[in-house]
Amino acid sequence: MGARLWRFVEIMKYMERTILSNFFKQPPKELGLFSVTEADANVKAPTKGYSLKDIIGDGYLLAVPKFRRTIEKRLKRKYGSPEYVWKMIVPKNNIKVCQECGHHHECGRLCENCYTKIETETKLIKDKIVEKLGGSPIDKEVVVLYENETPEQPKEFWKGKRIIEMKKERPSWFSKNLLQKSTQEPSDSKDVKPTDLA
Amino acid sequence: MNQAEVSKLVSKLRIKIPNEPRKLRNIKGPEGRLDKLRKTVTGLFKYERIELNYSRGDEARQYAERLISEAIRHGDCHKPTMEAANYWLLEKELIHKLFKVLVPRFQDCNTAYTSIINAPRAINTRSTEKVVLELKGNPYPPLVNKQMNNKLLIQNVLLDAAKYDYRQSKYREMAEKIGITDEIKPTTNKDENRTNQIQLNDNKLTEN
Repeated sequence: MGARLWRFVEIMKYMERTILSNFFKQPPKELGLFSVTEADANVKAPTKGYSLKDIIGDGYLLAVPKFRRTIEKRLKRKYGSPEYVWKMIVPKNNIKVCQECGHHHECGRLCENCYTKIETETKLIKDKIVEKLGGSPIDKEVVVLYENETPEQPKEFWKGKRIIEMKKERPSWFSKNLLQKSTQEPSDSKDVKPTDLA
Repeated sequence: MNQAEVSKLVSKLRIKIPNEPRKLRNIKGPEGRLDKLRKTVTGLFKYERIELNYSRGDEARQYAERLISEAIRHGDCHKPTMEAANYWLLEKELIHKLFKVLVPRFQDCNTAYTSIINAPRAINTRSTEKVVLELKGNPYPPLVNKQMNNKLLIQNVLLDAAKYDYRQSKYREMAEKIGITDEIKPTTNKDENRTNQIQLNDNKLTEN
């Protein structure tokens, strides 16, 4: 019985909310977040005992700054502090030209251009070594050989060494002897160049 | 003095060791710090070249150096050394590498066994400082090319020759100049004008 009565009350409430409010062109009560009581025009404002509550009524105030920020704080926000975080654009005086590639880099650091080149090559070799050795106990020194490279060392040199072969040519910058390109063989093309031109 | 020499008890490393261990921030505290360093040392021994933050790299380097130097001093039949290797190397196949590969490699080494080099910092960022930590004698391409200072590098030979030629030509010029200044002093344009004016004035005077 009680449950049925409750259901009836609920339905009535719903009817009031949807149908009646729509009929009288009033917004649904859910949207009424603020219910500011309008002061009656006839009623005079009280002359004394004036308080903030008379203005805001049932509403509330948002947090706002109470005091003015000092000039020091404002400037520090803007420009930072030279000892800690200095926000101004300052020219760097420690830039050098790389001896290898000619790119600029910071003094005392590696050249970014050269380093990325070395890093990619290192990663290739690393992956190859890990793939070859796997989880087996490592008991031999690793020697990396590129394609078309003939080991020049005597047989005793290779004893107790693990050869890892890279399936590509040795990069020109990773050459042991910079005076001579070891990977490129002399060309055997038999193209005949024209003579007696002009 | 009955006291043992400290240098004979602990191996002297070739790198600068700070007085106190660096505090690496970790949730687990000192234990977590050591875990982190063990991982790093293991990675260094496995890959021989790794890139990481400066503080962690510098700290791990000290432990790696100590481990290698202990292994060289005592060999693989020394129980405490073996225990240290077991503790620091998480992948056990690397213990073989330490005693069979790295000890022969660094036996006659006079310098530090590892090197630490500052990696490039990304432009316009406030990122943490990265370093490249590597074992010496690795098979990878060298990070720093020291051939730039090699006197016999072809570029250096050519530059030296060019410098020599330039200097010689300058000396020759200077020698020629010295000979000219002794013989005659050339008159300047100002002096010539003045003499012309005086001559003109003389002519006017004679006319009057």
